[in-house]
Amino acid sequence: MKENMTDETIAAHDGPMIVARDVHKWFGNFHVLRGVTTSVDRSEKVVVVGPSGSGKSTFIRTINRLEEHQRGDIVVDGVPMTQDVRNIDAIRREVGMVFQQFNLFPHLSVLQNITLAPMKVRKWRRSEAEEVAMELLVRVGIPEQAEKYPGELSGGQQQRVAIARALAMQPKIMLFDEPTSALDPEMIREVLDVMRELAESGMTMIIVTHEIGFATEVADRIMMFDEGVIIEDAPPSQFFNNPQQERTQAFLSQILS
Amino acid sequence: MAEATQPTTGQRLPPPRSEVGAIGWARQNLFSTWYNTLLTVVASAVTILVLVFGLRWVITGADWTVIGVLGGQMAIGQYNTEASCPGQNCFWRPQAALMLATAMFGMAWALAGGGVAKRLAIGVVVVITLFAFLPYSFERMGMDVRLLLVANIPAMLAGWAIARFTGMSGRGIVIYGVAAFIVTLLLLRGIPAVPGLQTVSVIHWGGITLNLLLAVVGIVLSLPIGIALALGRRSNLPVVKLLCVVFIEVFRGVPLITLLFMSQVLVPLAFPDDFHTSSLLRAGIVITLFSSAYMAENIRGGLQALHPGQAEAARALGLSAWETTLLISLPQAIRNVIPAIVGQFISLFKDTSLVYIIGMLDVVEISRAFIQGNAQYLGNAKEVFIFLALVFWVFCYTMSYVSGKVEEHLGVGGSPQATLARLGMEGTARP
Repeated sequence: MKENMTDETIAAHDGPMIVARDVHKWFGNFHVLRGVTTSVDRSEKVVVVGPSGSGKSTFIRTINRLEEHQRGDIVVDGVPMTQDVRNIDAIRREVGMVFQQFNLFPHLSVLQNITLAPMKVRKWRRSEAEEVAMELLVRVGIPEQAEKYPGELSGGQQQRVAIARALAMQPKIMLFDEPTSALDPEMIREVLDVMRELAESGMTMIIVTHEIGFATEVADRIMMFDEGVIIEDAPPSQFFNNPQQERTQAFLSQILS
Repeated sequence: MAEATQPTTGQRLPPPRSEVGAIGWARQNLFSTWYNTLLTVVASAVTILVLVFGLRWVITGADWTVIGVLGGQMAIGQYNTEASCPGQNCFWRPQAALMLATAMFGMAWALAGGGVAKRLAIGVVVVITLFAFLPYSFERMGMDVRLLLVANIPAMLAGWAIARFTGMSGRGIVIYGVAAFIVTLLLLRGIPAVPGLQTVSVIHWGGITLNLLLAVVGIVLSLPIGIALALGRRSNLPVVKLLCVVFIEVFRGVPLITLLFMSQVLVPLAFPDDFHTSSLLRAGIVITLFSSAYMAENIRGGLQALHPGQAEAARALGLSAWETTLLISLPQAIRNVIPAIVGQFISLFKDTSLVYIIGMLDVVEISRAFIQGNAQYLGNAKEVFIFLALVFWVFCYTMSYVSGKVEEHLGVGGSPQATLARLGMEGTARP
């Protein structure tokens, strides 16, 4: 498969953006992913919900190899996730990620946070990278914070910088791992607004979140994780109004009450 | 409390006295309870007594002439004696080396544009120049010696000007520093072919010059070696990891004195038979490796304190493992352990005195030997050792002060402004 990577890429060009087949993952003895099979199409928005420990975060972290899966296949934009470092690097270049704890680099200014990866990985010139960074900061609404350090920003501003930082690499897919869970209520909105705008622009997005209103509005599909498998996968209207699984009904009644 | 009958909700009130003002502070911190008051009174009394009697002895009781007699040897040891430098006057060579160093302070000032680098450059030159005006006779301290000390002022300013007008970068200063150090060694060692630069055997090097040479080598080399060892110890490669662990634990587990003794026997084994290793080289190697082992653990502590999300974010952006380490993990780790690193530097500097154990005459040993060898000064041991303590303290405190300023600059320390800025309240902090 490795030898035919280019063929694969072309062949997969029209296929789904992400394919996962029977993905298993263990943390020591704990079997956290127990055969996850799904696919995500180009420009599709998938919201992932589920109780803590259900494997939802672990699953999206296997998509850019922050966690290594031990069984099954993952193919991202036609590139199979293997032990080959070149494949992993190729996939990471196309997949942006936003974390619950923002994970901005505190020793770098906002602008440096955004320009670092494009300059080092994409080999852009500084002027080019800074131009793109400023455009992105305008897009997330905080161009005036470019010279500040992450420690000087509010949580909502930091998360918007983190989104800009991921977008600077011009990814084809954006993964969001509970992006608003560490934020004060008044800051959640400003981050969701940015994500909503991004969704409208046609980005492929997988979002782990508990923001049900946002999910209803933006998602094409909602996936419910429980005990390491996807137990429900449906459009929002059906997922919320007519869930098939008892476990989903119980979960929804908990988070909606 | 009793007068606060009106509700004050939402009003902007002046801060309570305990937050501002000397009296409020003293009442809060020194006289809050009866035992606190008692401790304050007793501690004040002891402090005043020590100061009064101490200062009286320093000014009227002590006989500081011994420092003048011994001063030259404290500075350069036996370097400029008939035995080490026959037929020539070699005092100018360490002094020229000193000027190379002060020029570097000037360059650092020009590069930093002021702040702590400026204060350091000026402070160093002022202290050196003050020695030129010591009230000792010209027989004890010649005019030439004094002039070369004063010449550090133009040397520092020249360094400043060169860096300023050539637009020297940080890398430029590093290159200059390495070159200056090599020139220093050549100057001190001498070049046989050049008249006026006859060789001075390393066994005659001594005094604070020796301490400083060993400390500079140790500090400059132990930091990168320590970083490499720390990364090696965290490596996934079992062989690399094992080698680093063994190195660190061996060098941390053996006293420096033992290592220095062993160096006399073991270091020559690492070189070809016909390669002559001086005791200075052996001591330098051992002190560097010893310090590297501690440095490695300091750095490793800094690396372990980092949130794993930092490296994850870097990897998710597509940075390689090396780029992640060099650009994300190490800068943060080092910044977080600056106090421990500087503590190790200070400790290393003081430990350079231990080379007396392998027969080298560092500043402490040469002073001790002088007192023992000159019966008329036996009564002046107090003055000598108090002066030595002061010399070490000045160097160590300078390192501590500079590191404090660097931390402040990097925003690690906790000034109220920095805290407010972190909380996103920067605007309200400015009236």
